[in-house]
Parts: sequence; C-alpha cells; structure tokens
Amino acid sequence: MAAFEYRQAQEVRDTFQRHGCRFLFIGKSGAILLGFPDTTQDAVVFVERSPVNGRALVAALRELGFDLTGEQAGEIERGKDFVQLKNGPFDLDLVFAPDGIERFEDAWRRRVEVEGFPVCHIDDFIASKVATNRKKDQESLPRLRSFREYWLRSQGGQ
Amino acid sequence: MATPVDPAIPPEWLEEFEAAARRPLAARMRYAFIRTYKPVLDDAPFRAFDRMEDYRRWCEENLPDWLGYGRV
Repeated sequence: MAAFEYRQAQEVRDTFQRHGCRFLFIGKSGAILLGFPDTTQDAVVFVERSPVNGRALVAALRELGFDLTGEQAGEIERGKDFVQLKNGPFDLDLVFAPDGIERFEDAWRRRVEVEGFPVCHIDDFIASKVATNRKKDQESLPRLRSFREYWLRSQGGQ
Repeated sequence: MATPVDPAIPPEWLEEFEAAARRPLAARMRYAFIRTYKPVLDDAPFRAFDRMEDYRRWCEENLPDWLGYGRV
C-alpha cells in the first residue's frame, strides 16, 4: 500500500460530497490540509453519525473501491465510534466520536474549507489531541499549538 | 474549547510554517504522507470499535509501545 496522495484526498472529497455524506478531515491529516508541516501515515475523517449519512458513506466508500462485506457496511452505517479501513485503494480511518469534540454539528459549524476540503478547525484538532492524550499526541502538541498561533494570524486573527 | 495560547513561536518552526504556506497543497501532501508498515495495526483489512475507549484500550493491549498509540 502506497502513501495517501493528494489525488486520493480529492477522490474522497468529491465522492463523499457527491453522495451527500457530511464529513470533515480531522487528525494530523486535517492539520496538514490547513498547512501544518509534519508527517503522518493516517488519513482520518470525522463523519456525522446518522442513518442517512451512514448509508451515503457506505455508498461512497464502495464507489471509491473499498471492499465491504454486508456486515462491515452495517457497522459503518450504524456509526461505530471508530472504523479502520485497509480494504480499499488506500487506508482510511472513520471516526464518529472523536475524543474532545462533543458533537459533529459543533465541529461542522467551526469547519474550514481548504480547496473545497472540509477540515476541522485547528482548535478542534488540539482539543481532540489533548483529550486523546497518547504519547504521539503529546509529542506533537507543542508544535501544533505554535502552528495554531501562526495559522490564526495568517487568517487575520479569526 | 479553550486552547492554551503561546504567542511565542520558535523561529525554526515559524520558518517551516512559512515555507509550507508557500507550497501548493498537492506538494504539502506529497511531503506529509508517508507509509511504513505498522505491526499489528496493518495486519487486518477491517476493524470496528463500538466506543473510542474500546479502540484506545485495544491499541494499548495489542500494539508495540514504540508506535506511540498508548495513552500517557
């Protein structure tokens, strides 16, 4: 499996949007879309948990080439908190209940659009990493907080 | 959603942020996404967890410490 590419991010964006799936890029992959210079292996999307969105998500994933059994599709449609997909053209993590973010709607309201990519606000990345509190999150937080300052200034202090 | 504010950005980081901002998004992503084999984590085509807590605990119980998925 090769690394996640810009073209594949575009495919996720376009296919999810065509199916009407509400989602946000989150995690370090989202921060990278905002301009955070770092490395990651994981493409992660925060997906709204609802029956309609779950069905749209499964349809979009199948169109992208993910090989989902009926049982797996059901688990995604029901919105299990965390789903790890390695059965498609690229690896993708689906998160329905990220640590540190109470409701999808709140994150959606704060979202940032980067070239049409819906991305969580930098404060949501940080809140999520603080709440998760893994070793790898602790290591990246100081730099992420500095990037937040830089990014807010570049956005005119929004 | 209060994020602690540290207005002092280390100069070497500021330089990196500014350099990244000058690159097109496609280039930023090319530099950012890497691929190395992660033991255990990469060994199943599909995993689903009812709760994030279940996933976090599974990571702690099954993944090597050096991958960094364990909580502090």
